Amino acid sequence: MTTRSHFQQELEGLERSALGGLDLVTQALDRSLETVANQDIELASMVIADDDRIDGRYLEVHQGILSLLALQAPVAGDLRLVAALLHVIKHVERMGDQCVNMAKLVPLDGHEPPAEPRMLDLIQRMGDQARQQVIQCGQAFERRDVDMAQDLVRQDDVIDLLNREVFHHALELGDEPDRREWAMHMMLVGRCIERIGDNAVDIGEQTAFVVTGLFREFEDASHPVAAPPTA
Amino acid sequence: MATQSLRTEVVIGKRASRSAGEEPRAPREPIFQLEGVTVAYADKAAVRDVSFDIGMNEITALIGPSGCGKSTLIRCLNRMNDLIPTARVDGQVLYHGQDLYGPEVDAVEVRKLIGMVFQKPNPFPKSIYDNIAFGPRVLGMKGSMDEIVEGALLRAAVWDEAKDRLKSNAFGMSGGQQQRLCIARALAVEPDVILMDEPCSALDPISTGKIEELMLQLREEYSIVIVTHNMQQAARVSDRTAFFTVDPDDRVGHLVEYDDTETVFTNPADPRTEAYVTGKVG
Repeated sequence: MTTRSHFQQELEGLERSALGGLDLVTQALDRSLETVANQDIELASMVIADDDRIDGRYLEVHQGILSLLALQAPVAGDLRLVAALLHVIKHVERMGDQCVNMAKLVPLDGHEPPAEPRMLDLIQRMGDQARQQVIQCGQAFERRDVDMAQDLVRQDDVIDLLNREVFHHALELGDEPDRREWAMHMMLVGRCIERIGDNAVDIGEQTAFVVTGLFREFEDASHPVAAPPTA
Repeated sequence: MATQSLRTEVVIGKRASRSAGEEPRAPREPIFQLEGVTVAYADKAAVRDVSFDIGMNEITALIGPSGCGKSTLIRCLNRMNDLIPTARVDGQVLYHGQDLYGPEVDAVEVRKLIGMVFQKPNPFPKSIYDNIAFGPRVLGMKGSMDEIVEGALLRAAVWDEAKDRLKSNAFGMSGGQQQRLCIARALAVEPDVILMDEPCSALDPISTGKIEELMLQLREEYSIVIVTHNMQQAARVSDRTAFFTVDPDDRVGHLVEYDDTETVFTNPADPRTEAYVTGKVG
């Protein structure tokens, strides 16, 4: 006989809300990238205003988790899931903030910045890659698929490489002040996208924690050879 | 954290830090060693083939659904099942390495060393003082009876509430006080182990909290085994937890998992334990 069905429904609802936050991030990321590609200042202000939705989702899931902890005393796999969701929603909130950071950079260069196609292409490729990772980290969590979560590290390497290209290309864009300033802003945009990729990997780590009970970073600069956890 | 590395590696649940197939760490020092213990009432087994060690100066919780044999098993540890004519205990229960059911072992002496506290407080219809003094008198214990009574009530954290009414009838105490009086009564005969069978199920949360606090204090001097239906209580007070369940085919209880309490409640090894502690099965 199944018991505590009300609790299970609440927990499942919280997971849906937290992972649904990743859909909001995908939308915000799409808009941020469009803002950057088209230097669209109006769209930028919408991205900034709409971050309230992601922040609201954070508060909703956070409060739900506190209530579950206080009222239902989850243990074992349920406890690991609750703890992981607390991390997931925090990463969702951070990813939303990175989209806002990107949107805030666009108006700094005015309506007709000296945009350069190759740089915009690199940023778009980084953004596409980050978008893919945001979706994949949600799917891996939902399916409790550690291999899929672990694959995010490989995906994230692509972003890191592109980010380095952005840096080198910014250096090549010359000394003209407006152009240089725009290139520096694009480096910051690249940095924001790179952080979103990292947050996706972090959510992957939470997937492994839920499944295995072991929290271990997939990539750890201070322990570069650490093996990933296995189910 | 992916590239901005925090140097963090936290293991939640000690099982995760062990390699596959590795046994749980042994208790500090076993006070009981159960080997293939089966208990039957009139040829119908209640609990089958239980083997595990219970650690000295630890609190060991036995949890599991109704009918899984945990109360039957705890009664084996001080030979209380001897009092039931149809009960039969097979296998071996070693207490400090000695066979508890050996022919030379005196069951009365066993019950002095291994005290039991029951679900419902069961003081004698006597004064508070006489409740405590009863056992030491019967056993002919030496020393000042006043000191024995005071010491037992102090250790059971009920002295302050009882000291001014020692000659009053114990039934005048609250349920929580009566339960602590029963613990004091068990302590008065200087036991080694205290067995507790659902000691808080008839008590309010404040009294429950006092008993749990008391258990943690008593752990310094005694070994405690507790049967509880309250999983949060097992999680709060015990060092190790044994999960029992009942076989759906023949309705016989058996041990599923025995491990550090933290592991059982964060990362249990057996899916049946997981299902029980998370409330997915009743």
